[in-house]
Amino acid sequence: MSPDPSVDVRVDRIRCSGHGICAQLLPETIRLDEWGYPIQSAGRVDARAAKRAVDFCPARALRLS
Amino acid sequence: MINELLWYLSRATGITSIALLTAVLLLGVVTSGRRRPVGERATILMGLHRWLSLGMVAFLGVHITTAIAETYVSIDWISALVPFTSAYSTAWVGLGTLAFDLVLAVVATSLLRQRIPERLWRRVHWGAYAMWPIALVHGLMLATSAEPILTAITIACGAVGAAGIAWRLSTGHADRDARRGALQGEWS
Amino acid sequence: MSLANLLDEAGLTGRGGAAFATGIKVRAAHESGATLIVNACDGEVGAAKDGWVVAHHLPALIEGARLVTGGQPVRVAAKRGSRTLELLTRAGVDVLAIPNRYVSSEESALISLAQGGLARPLTKTVPFVRGQGRDGNDRPIPATVVLNAETVWRVAQIADRGPGWFRSQGTATEPGPRLVAIGGAVARPAVLEAAAGMPIRALLDHVGVATDAEYVGVGGLGGILLPRDTAGELLWSSTDLARFGGSVGPGVVTVHDPSECIVDTVDRLLTYAAGESAGQCGPCMFGLPAIATDWHALATGIEASTADSRLERRLAELPGRGACRFPDGIARFASSARTVLADHLTAHALGHCPTHPKERHVA
Repeated sequence: MSPDPSVDVRVDRIRCSGHGICAQLLPETIRLDEWGYPIQSAGRVDARAAKRAVDFCPARALRLS
Repeated sequence: MINELLWYLSRATGITSIALLTAVLLLGVVTSGRRRPVGERATILMGLHRWLSLGMVAFLGVHITTAIAETYVSIDWISALVPFTSAYSTAWVGLGTLAFDLVLAVVATSLLRQRIPERLWRRVHWGAYAMWPIALVHGLMLATSAEPILTAITIACGAVGAAGIAWRLSTGHADRDARRGALQGEWS
Repeated sequence: MSLANLLDEAGLTGRGGAAFATGIKVRAAHESGATLIVNACDGEVGAAKDGWVVAHHLPALIEGARLVTGGQPVRVAAKRGSRTLELLTRAGVDVLAIPNRYVSSEESALISLAQGGLARPLTKTVPFVRGQGRDGNDRPIPATVVLNAETVWRVAQIADRGPGWFRSQGTATEPGPRLVAIGGAVARPAVLEAAAGMPIRALLDHVGVATDAEYVGVGGLGGILLPRDTAGELLWSSTDLARFGGSVGPGVVTVHDPSECIVDTVDRLLTYAAGESAGQCGPCMFGLPAIATDWHALATGIEASTADSRLERRLAELPGRGACRFPDGIARFASSARTVLADHLTAHALGHCPTHPKERHVA
């Protein structure tokens, strides 16, 4: 199934404790800083990958918007 | 004959459930207690944590169903859900039921996580720290002297799990420590 | 004409720093029956105009608050132990006493405190004025609007004298009178009635700047640093200040003490900032101490070039990655200082200081 860029994800910076799973699941738009917290580059992401990342975040810090 | 099969299946799935529960607990402990950014490993651990927990529920389902179905001992459907209501070994089966109820609560809240308040999810999930020793005691007390292997495995799970929990409580973690440190200040 | 329409026509924007259109906020507040929190905290370093409004125009402030909320509850926030809080309490105003922490006067921190939580910023998913926000414990927050004290005072003035009066001062894009607090190495620190478009030199002359003062901070810890001569050539307006990465912001101008090496001044301020993180967001709670450490390395001149490239990268990565704009402000301030003080920092790297030429520089 080809990627379908259609959603934005937002990081709840207070909930985020730097597990880094989002950077693994959304590598095109999220990378980690030197302390393990996400740096987002602009751009929408594939909806399925986004939902998986939102679901997998242990801190429930990702949100679809 | 069938009855004996059910009996052994119940014991086998029971000990497997305890082993899986211990593994799930350790995976959860490593996730929450991690020391440094481990993006790739974190994803694998989280995936395993969830899959094994669902697998454990499946084994638990067989464990409980076979325990009810076999006629050696008297355990009915009600006592599979309501703790301390079985005719056979009320206390120890009751603990198993209690642990199972907690498993259901943890799994349900996790599946519904996006729809419930985060603090509810968190508190129920902490119930796992109670659920695990309860399941161990259930296993230890119901293993008969004819099955020393079950006791041995349960004790081994207890030791490994306890070590994991001790690590979790003692380990420093940058994010948690920084948050705690900031709270020392005056904020109200 | 409704109050919100009056404010739209006047072009009143928030005087707390964010400069959001007040008419829009007031309209939303009326629609959701929001309660009001007036921010009289003077949270920025060097701020004084909120206290000035309370000290000199309290009845108008209260009237403005009444107009904004249309009868809904109003609380006025001020720092614990401050003269402002004392004046408000004596006047029988329902006060919200905040701890003396830099981020505690932030909009969502006030809301959090008013809800019975800590005075720390919250995650904003929707504007709090709509009443769908959630606090630190995931509990719903009733519709609340937060406005700066000066903004609320201006609301009362506009209701009384009309939008035309308001627009007769300032510029077309930044209309209306504005307070500016000027302090530091000046003869007569004061809160001045100013307006956009006034030359900064006139403001500085009014308070009497020390002749050997070299640097001026505009916007406090979240603002920019300017050489005094550059500042003297600019107008007090966000259009002019934007060329240097700044804005009129919360109306704070600080003339830095010329007897202290400016690099040391910035060092002190960044160290202070690092200790003021609410400790909720990783990029802030780790990033700010790291930036302070890097700046300190530049100040001492030890391994300065590696510290400088690290600092540059960290400053670029910091904005927009906290729940509030505190780290953005610090990044703005540190970036501005790093640019403006480039020559001074080079001197430090070579082991001497333009401010104290006879000493080998040790921070």
